Parts: sequence; structure tokens; C-alpha cells
Amino acid sequence: MNLAATPLSWNACLSALRLDRWMMGELDATDAETVGSHVASCATCSTAVAGMRGVREEVRALPLPLALVRRPESRRRFATGAVAGLGLALAASLVLVLRAPPATERAKGPGLGLAMYVQHGAEVRRAGPGETVSPGDAVRFAVSTPAPAYVAVLSVDPAGRASVYFPQADRAAQVPAGSEVPLPLGTRLDATTGEERLLALFCASPVELEPIRRALERGHDGAPLPADCQGLRWSFVKR
Amino acid sequence: MILDAAAIATLYRSHGHVVLRRARTVLGSEADAREALQDIFTALVRNPDSVRSAGSIVGWLYQATTHHCLNQLRKARTGARVLELHVRPGMAESGGPRGEAAAEVRRLLALLPEDVAAAVVYHHLDGMTHAEVAELLGCSRRQVGYLLERAQGLWDRAEQTA
Repeated sequence: MNLAATPLSWNACLSALRLDRWMMGELDATDAETVGSHVASCATCSTAVAGMRGVREEVRALPLPLALVRRPESRRRFATGAVAGLGLALAASLVLVLRAPPATERAKGPGLGLAMYVQHGAEVRRAGPGETVSPGDAVRFAVSTPAPAYVAVLSVDPAGRASVYFPQADRAAQVPAGSEVPLPLGTRLDATTGEERLLALFCASPVELEPIRRALERGHDGAPLPADCQGLRWSFVKR
Repeated sequence: MILDAAAIATLYRSHGHVVLRRARTVLGSEADAREALQDIFTALVRNPDSVRSAGSIVGWLYQATTHHCLNQLRKARTGARVLELHVRPGMAESGGPRGEAAAEVRRLLALLPEDVAAAVVYHHLDGMTHAEVAELLGCSRRQVGYLLERAQGLWDRAEQTA
């Protein structure tokens, strides 16, 4: 028997590695589009991806290994007032955790994620925390949440001005559960250069945003969040 | 880059399936695959630097899982547990001709030198191109071709003597 034709042999057109990298957002935009188009039109590869997603859900339902259960003191105070039902982790949040410098990753609950897509000229890419973008770039956010949550994205620009990116409303808006659910509003970055800080809120109720925006503008970046909210903070640099 | 226990827990939730799925295939045992999942992430807590410098988290997890599982197959073989491993219930290929053929592949993997066995896993079990295998093994595509030829030769020889 040929080793290529054993019961353990992979039978999809694209390798498991490529499909995993695609699922986990590791491919560049062009390659990701190529793989996405292929998977959408190939029954064998879409079945392989469905299987991968099935195992992903299995792992999310498993208890954490004991060595991972203990959390650092600085995070513990945020881990308790969780949005009901939030308990799963999603790929987007991983990128944030691994790439963000310490000051940008606080108060993040399990399974919550914020992703930012940047259009610079004709190129669209997924940006990580700390990444450099340009004035005039168009950005759009996507959030990951394992349960429906009231979501808002606020920012503090390099001049210290705080604003609400999403929603264009007084209170946080409900977003369905999902991985990288695109928020309906995009924005174009203004000409102010420097570090811009973001706060994504995931709340159990439609919290009022103006008090939070004011606190951010007063420089209270680390102020406690509303009791039923969890926050995800990171930053990018406009240059 | 932050990689404390909380970050690794997030990594476990988001990427653990890469380990579990591949460990199931290579080991053919649900219990051993889950143990592999736990072991790999627990080891990461002790040594986070290993993944911190990796260019690709998925690639790193492939390497760690392959290394761990091949070690387990060798231990199972030397510990005379290999028969138990092959008939353990709960896996789709644990019985019948397909199960026996899968068991044969695992026996071969346990016998092969690590780089040859890893090339077999990456190319045949994960469907990787020679270029992808070369990236994970850190060698040339030509070397991958050589490793796979060597594996096929050993497989053919094992079949002839069976």
C-alpha cells in the first residue's frame, strides 16, 4: 500500500496546515481569500473545515488544564462580573493576547475578542494591537463573543479626546454571538498622529456610554468598568 | 508579547483543537489525544519562550503535537502497550481492515527515525506540500522528498515481511 492511501491519509485538496492557518487568521489577505473561495466551492475541503470547527467547539467545552486555571492577581478582579454565558474563547482574542503590550490587554473576559480591519489604499489587512496605521486609513471593527452582548468601542486619540466609534448611540448596542462579527459602522482615521487607545466593552445590559467616554477623556484609562461589563483594551499607532 | 497562564488559557481555547484533532489521528486513542492536549499546553506554561519566538502559532502547535505524539508512539511500542493502543475503543478506525491498516501506519511511525516519521505525518496525514513540510522541519524540499522516499521504502519492506 502507498503511504498516500492509508486510512489516516489526508484527503482534502488543501493541507490541514493551510486550512488551520486560514481558520486562525494567519494567512495574508490574498491567500486567505484564495483559500476561502476554494473552501466555499469544494465539498471535500468544506467538509474538512467543518470537522475542524467541530473539534474546536469540543475543545472549548473541555475544562482547562489545571496549570492554566490560576490567573494573575491583576486580572482576577475583572474576571468575576462576567456577561452571563460568556465562557468560550475565540481565535480573534488570541491575536490580541499574544501581540499586545502589557498596558493594552486588561479586563478581557474569556472568549471575547476585538479585531480591526484596516484599508490602506487598495489593501485591506487585519491589524493587531500596537500596529502602525496611517491617517486617512479606513478601519472597521469586528467582535467575538460567545453569547449575545451589548457592545461598544470607544477610543482616546493621541490628543486625549475620547469618542465612541460604535455604536452611534448613547448606549451599547446588542451584538449576536459569533466569531468576528463585523460591527456595522466603519470609520476613517483623522490626521492626528500618535498612539490611539481603544476600549471595547462587552456588557450584559445597554450601558450608557457618555460617563465612560468622559472618564476616558479625563485620563481614567484604568477606571473600573460598569459592573456588568468586561473590557478589552488595546492601542494602535497612527503615523 | 504577553504569554502568561491567562494568555495560554486563551490559546488553549482558540487553538487547542489543532492539537486534539491531530493527536487523535496520530495516536488513534481519544484518551491519549486528550492527554497530549493537556501536556502540550501545560508544558507551554513552564516554557512560554518556545512559542513566543515562533513565526506561526499554528505551525508551532503542529511541531509540538507531532513531536509529542511520535514520542508517545515510541513509548507505547517500547512499553509493549502498542496492541492496547490499537484496539482502544472510541475511535472510528479502531476495528476492521481500516483499523488494522491505521494501526500498521502507527507501528511504522513508532519505528521510523523522528525526522522521517514527522515528514510522513506532515505529508500524508496532514496533506502538506513538500514546501510546507520543509518549512516545519526546517530543511529543503529536496530533503523532504528523500525522507518520504525512505519512509515509503521502509513501509514496502515491512509489508513484504509481514
